[in-house]
Amino acid sequence: MYIFGESGEFISVELWTSLFTLVNLLILFFIMKKLLFKPVKAMIDSRQKEIDDLYADANASKEDAAALKAKYEQRLDEANAEKEAILKDAYRKAQLRDEEMLREAQAQAAKTLQRADEQIAMEKKRALNDIKDEVSVMAVDIASAVLARDIKRNEHENLIDSFIENLGESHD
Amino acid sequence: MESVGQGVSILWQFSFFGLFDVTITETTLSSFLVMLILIAASFFLGRNLKKRPGRVQVLTEKGVTMLYNMVESTMGKHNLRFAPYIGTLFLSSVLGSLISLTGFFKSTTADISTTLTWALITSVLVWYHNIKNKGFFGWLKGFTEPIVVMTPMNIVSEIAQPLSLAFRHFGNVAGGGVLMTLIYVALGNLSAVVLGWVPNQIIRSIPFLQIGIPAVLSIYFDLFSGFIQALVFCMLTMVYVGGACPPPEETQKAQ
Repeated sequence: MYIFGESGEFISVELWTSLFTLVNLLILFFIMKKLLFKPVKAMIDSRQKEIDDLYADANASKEDAAALKAKYEQRLDEANAEKEAILKDAYRKAQLRDEEMLREAQAQAAKTLQRADEQIAMEKKRALNDIKDEVSVMAVDIASAVLARDIKRNEHENLIDSFIENLGESHD
Repeated sequence: MESVGQGVSILWQFSFFGLFDVTITETTLSSFLVMLILIAASFFLGRNLKKRPGRVQVLTEKGVTMLYNMVESTMGKHNLRFAPYIGTLFLSSVLGSLISLTGFFKSTTADISTTLTWALITSVLVWYHNIKNKGFFGWLKGFTEPIVVMTPMNIVSEIAQPLSLAFRHFGNVAGGGVLMTLIYVALGNLSAVVLGWVPNQIIRSIPFLQIGIPAVLSIYFDLFSGFIQALVFCMLTMVYVGGACPPPEETQKAQ
């Protein structure tokens, strides 16, 4: 059915052709929308979303890592400072202890030395007394043997002691 | 020369249960063919979509992305729902123009019935959205703007819009076809002149100039013109419909 012109004319509008064109285009629109455009677009969008999510995750991880790194670096610095402080303290303490020990040892040595001196002096005195006793007895014994007579022992002992005393003083 | 300027002829007519006569023209046949090809293509391209696409899917996605980007840049983000229609229109138009290259079918777009129908769909969309946004009387009042004297001009331009849209597309494709036919005939005659001295009747009748030369011209008149006109038609549809569907904020401001 021709609305304009007639069959075979260059410019002619045929109603049924128009109607079929309209119906075909609408059918094609719905089918292509359902089969092609919507699924493909959904796929593109979902992939885009996935990529965005991945990037967001990666950025978040990166930020977390940076934060952690900063934290650990700070802790490391703190630990280093602490270590240095502890070492310094230990060194100082050790030095103090060293000096103290040295002092103590010196004191001990001095004490020991003094004691030894005292002991030596005492021993010397005792030895001198012993010798003195012995010499006096011996002298009396010799004298009595020489004189072959009994003389008053006490008198002579005192005499000899004073002699030896004089002798010791002159010797010292 | 008999086919030059020849319009679309009726293939057959039949009575629909005696109620009315249904006419099937060459254009109708091509139109159904285009529809079947596009449905098959959609079916094969739209199935088995994967997150990690193959070569075919990459191309399909590239095309769909281009379409959506084009619709978004022309009509705005709020009008993305029109993208499938624009895509369908574009592919129908391109394939409808190129189907004549088979040599057996006429271009659907070389028939004013087709392009006029498509143009009227565009106009109906524009009118529908204008009436929806401004109300019926608001739409009528739009014709008197900017001044009342402009009313006849506005009405004419409203009618001229689908007509120019339809005739532009039809004229380019049909004109290209006419030109190609003329070139064929001219080249045939030219080769007959060139070979006029050959005594042999059979060799003299070989239209050797028709080989190659029309192919190069056909790239412009059929391929290029088909693509450009489809693009122009879709672009204008987008602009007209996009103009009738302003962004949501502007509609609220106007109220």
